[in-house]
Amino acid sequence: MSVEEVSQKLETVSVSDDTPKTVLTDSNNFEVKHPLNSKWTLWYTKPAVDKSESWSDLLRPVTSFETVEEFWAIIQNIPEPHELPLKSDYHVFRGDIRPEWEDTANSKGGKWSFQIRSKGSEIDELWLRTLLAVIGETIDEEESEINGVVLSIRKGGNKFALWTKSENEQALRNIGAKFKQVLKLTEDGHLEFYPHSSANNRNAQPTITL
Amino acid sequence: MYKYTIDELLQLKPSETLVANFDAVDFRAIIEKVKQLQSLKEEEFAHHGGHGHFNRRRSSHHHAGRPKVKHNKPKVTTDSEGWSTLDNKKDVAEESEVVDGATTTAAGTTSNGNTRSSPVPSATIAQETLKVRPNNKNIGSSRPADTKDIVADKQIHGFNAFAALESDEDDE
Repeated sequence: MSVEEVSQKLETVSVSDDTPKTVLTDSNNFEVKHPLNSKWTLWYTKPAVDKSESWSDLLRPVTSFETVEEFWAIIQNIPEPHELPLKSDYHVFRGDIRPEWEDTANSKGGKWSFQIRSKGSEIDELWLRTLLAVIGETIDEEESEINGVVLSIRKGGNKFALWTKSENEQALRNIGAKFKQVLKLTEDGHLEFYPHSSANNRNAQPTITL
Repeated sequence: MYKYTIDELLQLKPSETLVANFDAVDFRAIIEKVKQLQSLKEEEFAHHGGHGHFNRRRSSHHHAGRPKVKHNKPKVTTDSEGWSTLDNKKDVAEESEVVDGATTTAAGTTSNGNTRSSPVPSATIAQETLKVRPNNKNIGSSRPADTKDIVADKQIHGFNAFAALESDEDDE
């Protein structure tokens, strides 16, 4: 086939416009969205600046998302953890579950907890990794043990907490082991599990330590 | 069940900033306002350093303690006969004033328990002076500012029952 013939053929070939646009091909007008397994809600706890403010005044849902694209749009527009004022909390919880241990979905469960002293970009990266592992469901068991995840910005050290719906020890150990990998913990770093039933006890000891 | 690994989700991160499905500007503004309020509080606290307006009670560790009163060592002289004499002229002067104005002598204490007297002029000048500085910090309190006040407040005239009986008889 001569060059002229090839050129003529190319002119007749037309690329179909029916190919759906993804977030990677057109970030403004993409049509294909990647669905998540659940709807998730981002909550924010505002630090109290006035003594009259109660817990219910401070804890507010910010927005919800059901797709990967919606998730990234939110992450790009909210302050990163290192930008948050002290005593702030970010919560990402499944569906309509409130980030409170009194919620019926949480009351029989507990939380894997880890406190980290590092600040700045490291905490941003670990929080993002935790979120991705949770919404991507790779950290969870088949029967969705995880209800949500919390990041608490504190002076003494930032806290990560992975909330579960039950105290099923085997499931918790599996989740805890994966959570350690997500947080890039070494042998020295210990995760502690506290059941919500002991939330009122300040001297409560963890029931599982990994 | 939809599952995405961390790497898969990172690959789906758009290079350009997407528009969020909520009022992100308002959300960021709230957070900025909280940060400003927190920094103002911190500045205020740092300015006062945890003292001043926040702690109006005076700290106890700033007290210098009691005023130092210098006591001269009592001078003891021993003569050729072995008599030791305590030369405490101030005490003597005070005593002489207390005992009915009579001129008394200084009491010398000896090592073997004996005493001997030696005449002392009535116009003896005290060798020892009490150096007491009034503490201005205590002026506003119930504590006396000066040790002299303690003496002034002391009740000098007690109730004398005999004197009272005598006065009754006189009345009759």
